[in-house]
Amino acid sequence: MKVSYYPGCSLEETARPYDVSAQKVCRRLEIELEEVPDWCCCGSSPALKMDRLLSASLAARNLVQMEKQQLDQVVIPCPFCYRRLLSAQTELGTDTSLKARVEDVIESKVRGELNIHSLLGFLRYQVGLEAIRAQVARPLHQLRVLPYYGCYLVKPGGVTRFDDPENPVSLDELLAALGAEVLDWDFKTECCGAGLALSKTETVVALTRRLVREAVRRGADALVVACQLCQSNLDLRQDEISQAEGQSYALPIVYFTQLMGLAFGMSAAELGLKHHLVNPLPMLKEKRLAS
Amino acid sequence: MYRLKGTPEERHFMTDVIHRSGQNLLECLQCGRCTASCPISSSTVGGPRRLIAQILCGMREDALRDPTWWYCVSCGTCASRCPVEINMYHVATTLCEMAEKAGIEPIEPSIHLFEDLFLRSVRRYGRVRELKTVMRYNLQMRQPFKDAGKGLRLILKGAISPLGMMRGGRKDEVIERIFARRAAVGQGETDHEG
Repeated sequence: MKVSYYPGCSLEETARPYDVSAQKVCRRLEIELEEVPDWCCCGSSPALKMDRLLSASLAARNLVQMEKQQLDQVVIPCPFCYRRLLSAQTELGTDTSLKARVEDVIESKVRGELNIHSLLGFLRYQVGLEAIRAQVARPLHQLRVLPYYGCYLVKPGGVTRFDDPENPVSLDELLAALGAEVLDWDFKTECCGAGLALSKTETVVALTRRLVREAVRRGADALVVACQLCQSNLDLRQDEISQAEGQSYALPIVYFTQLMGLAFGMSAAELGLKHHLVNPLPMLKEKRLAS
Repeated sequence: MYRLKGTPEERHFMTDVIHRSGQNLLECLQCGRCTASCPISSSTVGGPRRLIAQILCGMREDALRDPTWWYCVSCGTCASRCPVEINMYHVATTLCEMAEKAGIEPIEPSIHLFEDLFLRSVRRYGRVRELKTVMRYNLQMRQPFKDAGKGLRLILKGAISPLGMMRGGRKDEVIERIFARRAAVGQGETDHEG
């Protein structure tokens, strides 16, 4: 199966482990990822906040590039890019005056008939658990994980629609198919502070602190994410969290694609697991999932 | 909550926000589920319920200077839980555009600076250069060593490249043209309809 692949800016730079592990896992599942030619930033939260027409235009430019690939299915690992491109396609489809202005700005026509999937939703629902289970060579028994979806994948309800906005289950099911022990908690879609990482770091610490504390209290070996912004906010702020809590925290924050790769028999090194600030390797070695 | 008996200016502001954002704030029950759910509401950041109340009461100056919409990360939690399905990040965009058009200084300069530097990077390179943007931000905030220890540890792990802080890459003329054409259309002509 060949699909259009839109990595987004972060996966080129600070979130390379997500890109690398996603590519390896998809190859193993015989999904060919064809990168969108000359893709650009989706505008992310700054354009969405400051300039609606610019945000819609940047998104539309990417939709046009995807339409040129003639692959029908689009797969996007970054939850923000995913939600923005999907919601922009919907907005352009319902708001003809916006569409006219956007097409004037980007000097191209947008068809707006793409099937846009998040990587998580695509693997869970299009590829399916059976195909994933068939590749598991090293079940993640003994690994107690907490799935953390964050916001953009599932909220607001009615925008992305592939899973429930309050109690999503796709990641739970996928991790269970890998053999992991999936724990339950109330913080699946609680915000990590997202784009305030730099400008309001104290807000991010206050928000991630609750998540890390609760995850450790529940006995999780790792928190599993599908978003590079969640990953970095949770991974990078554990020094500050430890200081605020008066207790030392070192909770590994890993991408679900990294755990898929491990379960498929790939090595921790090739999946970029050495690149996180909180090193997951000692825990993985203890569980005999890495050497 | 809303007052149809307000002055024409007050009512005009309210209908303007409703029209541009596409969000029917007149249906707001002031129930407060949004603010109770909002990750950025705090003792200093009022949150969506209060912001809607300001708009409904025609308090233009207060609403355009409210930190809530600067802090908004568009998580969509308020929209998911609102009984009348008001999406506040569309309202945030509307207020941001109106405040800029009115020449009101950003009440949250650090958030504004980051978002502005982010878009400058996109305009130049077509994609945001994250590390370069982080470095620019920390320099302009006069905190060049913020998170420097973490950065160094990530460099030593091979997670990020120190070259990334300098590297820009080729300019993207197509995206620069999109930014220029958008600017030529002018601000404040982007009414939401849905």
